[in-house]
Amino acid sequence: MSEYAPMQAEIADIDIESPNTYLITLKLLEESTDFRYLPGQFVMISVFGLGECPISIASSPTRRSLQLCIRRAGKVTNAIMDCLVGDVVGIRGPYGNGFPLHRMMRDVVIAGGGSGFATLRSLINYISDRREMFGKVAIAYGARTSQDLYFMQEYKSWQRAGMEVAVTVDIGDELWKGNVGLVTGLIDRFDLNPGSAAICGPPVMINAVARKLMERGFHLSDIYVSMERHMKCGVGKCEHCAIGPYHTCQDGPVFSYDQVREVL
Amino acid sequence: MKAFLERDRLIPFLDALSRQIEVIAPLATEAGAVYSTWQGQSLDLGSNPLFPPTEFLLPHKETLFRYIQESGRYTFKEDSIPPRMLFAIRPCDLHAIALLDRIFGSEPSDQAYFRRRRATSLVVLNCTNRGDECFCACLGAGPEAQDPCDLQLTDIGDGYLCQAETPAGILILQAASDLLQPALLEHDQKKARLVQLVRDAMPRDRSCHQIRQAIEIADWEALGQECLGCGGCSFVCPVCHCFNILDLGVPDGERLRCRDSCILSGFSRLTGGANPRRTAGQRLKHWYLDKFEDLPKIIGLPGCVGCGRCHLVCPAPIDRSDLRVLGNGKLENREAKI
Repeated sequence: MSEYAPMQAEIADIDIESPNTYLITLKLLEESTDFRYLPGQFVMISVFGLGECPISIASSPTRRSLQLCIRRAGKVTNAIMDCLVGDVVGIRGPYGNGFPLHRMMRDVVIAGGGSGFATLRSLINYISDRREMFGKVAIAYGARTSQDLYFMQEYKSWQRAGMEVAVTVDIGDELWKGNVGLVTGLIDRFDLNPGSAAICGPPVMINAVARKLMERGFHLSDIYVSMERHMKCGVGKCEHCAIGPYHTCQDGPVFSYDQVREVL
Repeated sequence: MKAFLERDRLIPFLDALSRQIEVIAPLATEAGAVYSTWQGQSLDLGSNPLFPPTEFLLPHKETLFRYIQESGRYTFKEDSIPPRMLFAIRPCDLHAIALLDRIFGSEPSDQAYFRRRRATSLVVLNCTNRGDECFCACLGAGPEAQDPCDLQLTDIGDGYLCQAETPAGILILQAASDLLQPALLEHDQKKARLVQLVRDAMPRDRSCHQIRQAIEIADWEALGQECLGCGGCSFVCPVCHCFNILDLGVPDGERLRCRDSCILSGFSRLTGGANPRRTAGQRLKHWYLDKFEDLPKIIGLPGCVGCGRCHLVCPAPIDRSDLRVLGNGKLENREAKI
């Protein structure tokens, strides 16, 4: 069967992360399938009849369930969010390189903006479960409003695992007692040694965070960025995600900042 | 194995072949030469068809698989691929097939492409005349076949010199042996002379390196102003292979692969609306960079075969292969083209 034919997965659970974002737990129907992945990789998810789209994996391979964090954005994501527990979707993958974990096993800064935080959750939970292999870990996360913050029930467990967690929103409201402002403002407050960094978010935010980290002595090639591109095939053939000689779906989506700073 | 086929034996030769396999050949139509299934129609072997034969390997629309729903679960089915022969394709298009083999063969290889590719035998017609826009020699693609094929034909005046390159090619000749004559040394000499004449008539200023230099100095925003964004250049390019994947049908249906073009404005646009290549100039430049800068890094060869089809089809006053125009953004050929 063609490599474009997906596996089938049943929606086993749906958690609401924000008014327009669900965390979906999937159970592969082919029991024999060995689905191994790394933090930072993604899958092509499909609703038959509507098509496919790329979604990063939000769960850690150290834990049993496969989870995708899906925001209502286009045709396919809308259809997935209208699915019920028990419905069947298609899954291809995992695709992409994932975060270079062996090069990150020292102090780590993790900076996320908006829905870009989904792929970083995979990395954070991986580090949390392999805590002894990493140094100091600081997490900075910003969303538009407090309603848009994902995974709020997990921040405490990350802190208990010895990770610093700082959260901010662009627009405050009377219910929000936390920070209001940019992610870069959170990084200013971290007591950091130059180490490695993982960033995912809008290009403006990636550039601002990378600049800030470089000021703090981080090397360009130690800053890893998860890039978002339009994708169709996932196997480096359809050219939608091309960045120069790289295919984001195969050579990425995680690039070092020096590889992609010109297109950000 | 070599043989000589007299001119008036070509149709009986094709007739013998088409009894064994579906033969796709350049047919003479009101719209010029078009590759299609040969069933006795008259051929047009004098010009290179506007639509390349690569569309039989990467069709404009193909079914990747069919999905059939039964009580909430799906089963998948693939269509069978009939064996085919591409007859009288030109060396430039053969080179394009060799490039597509590398592109789709890079890990992880694309079996949807190779299922068609493996079922296709290739018969090349070497070029003994040059089309107005041809510059294949600059890119090592022609005018004589440079890449693997099953059988080479060369029109040497009174007939065709046939050279089998693979066991499949030898079988083709053996099956039609009663139509063939032995090849002579003078046939080889005549072929070499005719091909050399075409090679000598080629422009010399359009190598990958020279076009790369032109890309660097071209005024892309000015060229982008002229580009209509129709994507025609991609759809006639034998190397362009961008595609889209989409579904048709609920609850049963098919997942389709359709050709796409990086020239189209929505090609790289994200769901949220952000577009890494916002302007027509950026998209046109990307089209050239991919062929002359990026593909050489990825597969070791430029993604252009010098067939000139992009220029023939482009409705805008852009000279798609002339370096003077590409190089300084001047559109001096505007009136000539309109």
